[in-house]
Amino acid sequence: MSARLFPVARALAYVAIALVACAIVFQLAGYPSAGMFAAIVEGAFLAPHAIVHTIRWAMPLFVTALGVLVAFRCGYFNIGAQGQFYLGAIAAGLTADALHAGPPVLVIPLVLAAGIAGGALWALWPGLLRVLSGTDEVITTLMGNFIAILALAYVTSGPLKDGSGSGEVAAARPVADGLRLSTSSGVSLSILAIVIVVGGLMWLLVDRTAFGVLGSLAGRNPVMVVWQGARSGRIAIGAFLFSGALAGLAGALELLGPSGRLLSGFAPTLGFGAVLVALVSGLSVSAATVASVFFGGLAAASLYLPVIAGFPAAAIDIINAAITLVITARAWPSALRRRASASS
Amino acid sequence: MNALACDEVTVTYGETVALREVSVAFDPGRIHAVVGQNGAGKTTFARVCAGIVRPTSGRLTIGDQPVPVGNVRASRACGVELVHQSFALPPSFTVAEALEFGSTRRTNLVYSRRTLETRWRTHLEALDVPARLGDRIRDLPVETQQGVEIARALVGDAKLLILDEPTAVLAPLAIEQLFARLRRLSASGVTVLVILHKIREVLAIAETVSVLRAGRLVEALVPRASLDPASLARAIVGSADAELPAIGAERTSADAEGTRNVALALSSVSTRAVAGGPGLANVSLAVACGEIVGIAGVEGNGQRTLVDALAARVPFAAGSLQLGGHDVTGVSLLERRGHGLRIIPFERNIEGLSLASALWQNWSARLLVIGRLLRLIDPPRLRATSRTVLERWGVRFGSVDQNAGTLSGGNAQKVVLAREIDDDASVIVAAQPTRGLDISAMAFVWRALREARDRGCGVIVISSDLDELFDISDRIVVFVSGRIVAEFRPPYDVRIVGEALTAAHA
Amino acid sequence: MIAAIAAILQSATPLIYVALGGMIAARAGIWNLGLEGLMIAGACAAVVGTKQSGSAGVGVMCAIVVCVLGSALLWFAIEKLRAHPVIAGLGISGLGLGGTDLAIQAMYGNEGSVHAPRSLPQLGAAAGDFAGCSVLVVAMPFVVAALWVLLRRTRFGLQLSACGEHPFAARSVGIDPVRMRLVALAIGGVLCAFGGTELALGRLQIFSTGMTAGRGYMAFAAVVFGAMDPIGTAGAAAFFSLVEYLGIKGQLVFGNAAPPELVLSLPYIATVLGVWISSRLRGGAAALSELRDY
Repeated sequence: MSARLFPVARALAYVAIALVACAIVFQLAGYPSAGMFAAIVEGAFLAPHAIVHTIRWAMPLFVTALGVLVAFRCGYFNIGAQGQFYLGAIAAGLTADALHAGPPVLVIPLVLAAGIAGGALWALWPGLLRVLSGTDEVITTLMGNFIAILALAYVTSGPLKDGSGSGEVAAARPVADGLRLSTSSGVSLSILAIVIVVGGLMWLLVDRTAFGVLGSLAGRNPVMVVWQGARSGRIAIGAFLFSGALAGLAGALELLGPSGRLLSGFAPTLGFGAVLVALVSGLSVSAATVASVFFGGLAAASLYLPVIAGFPAAAIDIINAAITLVITARAWPSALRRRASASS
Repeated sequence: MNALACDEVTVTYGETVALREVSVAFDPGRIHAVVGQNGAGKTTFARVCAGIVRPTSGRLTIGDQPVPVGNVRASRACGVELVHQSFALPPSFTVAEALEFGSTRRTNLVYSRRTLETRWRTHLEALDVPARLGDRIRDLPVETQQGVEIARALVGDAKLLILDEPTAVLAPLAIEQLFARLRRLSASGVTVLVILHKIREVLAIAETVSVLRAGRLVEALVPRASLDPASLARAIVGSADAELPAIGAERTSADAEGTRNVALALSSVSTRAVAGGPGLANVSLAVACGEIVGIAGVEGNGQRTLVDALAARVPFAAGSLQLGGHDVTGVSLLERRGHGLRIIPFERNIEGLSLASALWQNWSARLLVIGRLLRLIDPPRLRATSRTVLERWGVRFGSVDQNAGTLSGGNAQKVVLAREIDDDASVIVAAQPTRGLDISAMAFVWRALREARDRGCGVIVISSDLDELFDISDRIVVFVSGRIVAEFRPPYDVRIVGEALTAAHA
Repeated sequence: MIAAIAAILQSATPLIYVALGGMIAARAGIWNLGLEGLMIAGACAAVVGTKQSGSAGVGVMCAIVVCVLGSALLWFAIEKLRAHPVIAGLGISGLGLGGTDLAIQAMYGNEGSVHAPRSLPQLGAAAGDFAGCSVLVVAMPFVVAALWVLLRRTRFGLQLSACGEHPFAARSVGIDPVRMRLVALAIGGVLCAFGGTELALGRLQIFSTGMTAGRGYMAFAAVVFGAMDPIGTAGAAAFFSLVEYLGIKGQLVFGNAAPPELVLSLPYIATVLGVWISSRLRGGAAALSELRDY
C-alpha cells in the first residue's frame, strides 16, 4: 500500500472499529443496532429529501472545518469553533436586524462580513492569550464555547427577542425576507457558490501561500521556524483569525440560510462536528469535502432518528464521540509490544 | 566467573541494525572500556546490559546467572546499574528525592523531609558529592548532577556500574576526579564498564578495551598493556575508511590581518544568563571574512548564550553587533539573516529541522520566511529546486516529499548545511556541527565549512572537541563562564589550551 | 459567614474531587480532558445505581466502576492506540455526555432527568451551619491531605511524578510509566466518581442530562492553575466555585441589574483568568508539551 494511502486506510479502519463498538453498545442498551444503523443510513441518504438535509448540514460543517484545520495545521488546538460560530451568527444577526431595511445587494455582504468579523474576534482573544502569555488555547477556547452559548441565549431573549414567539426556545426576530440566501431547506445556489469559493480560497491558503507551508512547519516544530527567523506570533494570530473567521462565516450563512433567525442553542454540535471532520480528513482540504458529507449525513440522521424512527438522537453523539476517541490513533494494539524502547 | 556476559546480542530498530551479534564477557573487579565513534552502538549496548533496551535476539548473563533481557528490575536485582549520558534525574526533584525514587530498599511507606535527608546523607557523603540534599537537581552544576547520578546508581548494591559517555560534559579537571572515583570503586570490588570515544581518555582509565564499530564488536577485552593508540584508532574508525581527516590540514595562507574585511564583530557584549549557561560578560570577538574561528570550552560556559545572542533570542544588555559593517544590535533574527547571518544550531532535530515535515519544506523554510506571509508561492518549483540543491550536497534521499526524520544523522545535517550555506551567506555560526555524526559525515561538515571560508565567509565553530577545533580553526578563543579568557593561534598545544579551559573553574 | 463557607464548600466539592482526579493523571503524564464525561457518567451511575438498588452506597460503587472503566478506556486510547491526549479526552467526554443521555432514555424514557430515592448520608442538624453536608464533603479535606502525603512524602508519589516529568528516568529504574499512568487514571477515576456522585446525590438527588455544564473542563483548568499540586488544585477549584457562588448571590442582591447569562458566565470567565494568570506566573504553554522520554 502506498505511503500516502496508508493513513487514509488506517483512519477508515478506525472509523469502522468505532462504528462496530457503537453497535455493540446500542444493542446492550436495548436498541436493535441493525435497525438503528439502517435508520441512520435512511436519514442520511435514502429517505425523501435526505440528501438535501445532508448537504444542508455538510456545508456549514465544511466551512467551519476548514477553519479548524487551518488552526490545527499550524499547531494550535482551537476547539472553540462552536463559540466562534455562535459569535459570527450573533454579529450577523445584529447587523441584519439593524440594516433590515437596506438593499439586499449591499446588506448581505455586510452581514456576511459581520459574521466573519464576529467569529474572528472570538478566536482572537484566545490567540492573543496564547501568543502573549503562553496560555494554552485548549481551555480558553473551550470556555469561550460556554460563554458564547450564554451570549446567544442573552441576545435571543433580550435585544433581539421575538415578541411574538411563544416556543420553548428563545428566538430572535426573523431576518428580513429579502436578505435570506436560501429557504429553510438550507440548500441554494448562492450558498453553494459561497462554500465552493471559500473551499478554493482555503486550499490556496493552505497549499500555495507562505503562511500555509510555514504554518505547517510551525505546527510540526515551532522551535525550528523561530530559528529560521519566522515571526511565529504572526503565524499564530493568523491561524486563530482564519479559523474564527470561517466559523463565523458559517454562522452568518446559517442565519441567512436555513435558520432565518437566531435561535438559542441552535446547531449545538456543529463545532465539535467540524473538529471531527477536520481530524477525519487528516487536515486536508480535499478530504474535508468528503468527510463533511459523511458527517453531514450523520447530522441529518440525528434529526431523523427521534422523529421518524423513534431512536434517541444521542446515538449520533455517541458515534461521533467514539470516532473522536480513536481517530488520532497511530498504532494497532497488537504491534505495540515495543521490543526496543529507547533509541541509541 | 564473569561480571556480565552478552551472547549474540542483536538490536534492530526497523531497518537499522544498532547492534549485530555482540558477544563479550567482562571479568569482575576491573575497569573495562567500550569505545567506538558516534553511531557505533555504544549507548544501545549499555542499555541492553542494564535491561532498558530489549534486544531482538541474544542472551544476557550476569554473574553467571542467565537474566531476562529487557528487564530493568532483573538487571538491577543482579547489581547492574547504569549512569546515563544525559542524566536520568527529574529536574524538579531534590537530591534526596532523586536518590529515593529508584531505591529498592525496604522502608516505611511515608517519610518526612528530614527523615529522607538523613536517610541519604551518609550515602552522599561517602561518595564525596558536594551537594545539599535539599537542593533541586535543576539548580546544580553539571559535574554535581553527574555526582548525584552516580550516587543514584550506587544506591542499591551495585556490582557492575556502567557509565555512558560520562566525560562528554566534563572539564579536564573534573574528568580526572571522575576517573579517581572510578578507581576507588574498582578497588572496592565494583566492576566498572565505561563508554568512551576519546582515545586519550581510554588510555588514562581503562584496564581492558573493547571496540564497537557499526554495531559489531571488532575488538574484545584488549588488555591495556598491549594497547597501541594507532591500531586502536584504526579499529574504531575502520582502516577501510579513507575519510580520516589529516591532522594539521591546510588552512588559508596567513593573509595580513588588517587587509581582510570583518564579517562579524561583537563589541563588549554582555547579556543575562540563559537556560543553558551563564550570560556573556564583556565579550568582544571579530571574525574576518575568510577565517574560521573556533570557540573552545566545556559545554555550559556561555557558548549557548553566544548563539542565542547572535540569533536575537536574548537581548544585549550592553555592547553591539556588526555584520559586514552594518550595526545589527537591536535587530531581529530575520533581518540579521538578511545581512548574511546563518546559524547551524546546537540541536539539529529540534532547532534545525522539522522531522515530521517534508525535506523540501525544511529546505524552503529559509526562503519562506522572507517577505509577506500571505504571498503565493510555487511549491512545484520549490520541490524541484530543493531536489537539485540536496543532490548537489550529496544528501541520500528518495523523494523531497519524505520526512526529514527518515534521514540518518549525517544526511540530516547535510540538509541543514544545504539550507544554511547558500550563496548569500556571509557569516556562518556552526554550533557543535558534528555532534552525533560518524567520521565520514564529520569530514563532510568540515569540508563544507572550509569551502565556505575559502569563498569569503566568516565562520564560527563551537565545539567541545579540542581535536576537531585544532584541525579546523584558523584561530581559537576559549570561553569560560561567559567570557573569553584566552586566544590561541596555530600551532596549538593541547596542554596549554586544555588548561585555559579550566582557568576560572576553581 | 460560616453558613456561606458551608454553602461554598458544598458546591465546590464536586469540582474539587474531579480536579484532584485530573491532577493525579497529569502528574503521571496524562492530560485528562475526559473529566467532563467521567464526571457526568459518575453522576448518572450514582443516581441510577441508587434508584435501582435503593442504597446510596451501591450508587457510589456504580459510579466508581463506571468512572474507572472510562478512565481505563482513555488510557487504552492514549497509551496503546497512541491517540492524541486532547482529542481522545474530548472523545471520552463526548461518550460520557452522549452515553448518559442514551442510558437515561433507554431506562427511563424521554424525561431527561431521573430522581434518586435517597441522597448520600448527610450531617445532621447537630452540625449547625454544616448540616446537610454529605459524607463526601466532610471527607474532602482529608482526601486532599492524603493525596498531598501520597505525592510528596512517599516513594510511590515520587515514582508517579517521575513518570510524568521524566519518563526515561522512571524507566531507567524499572518503573513502567505506561502502567503507572493506568494506576493514576484509575485513582483519578475513583475521584471523579466521588465528584459526580456528590454533584447528583449530595443534596439534590437528581440527575439530568448535561448537568455538569462544563465543570469537568473547569476542573482541568484548575489542575493547570494549581500547578498539579493537590492543595493548589483544590484551591483553584474552590476559587472557580467561589466565583459561581458570588455571582448567584450577587444576582439575588442586585436583582436584574445584570442579565442572568452574564452571571452564569462568570465561572467560565474566572477559569480563563485562572489559566491566564497561571501561564504568566509560570511561563505557560508547558501544559500540553512533550514528555521527556529519551
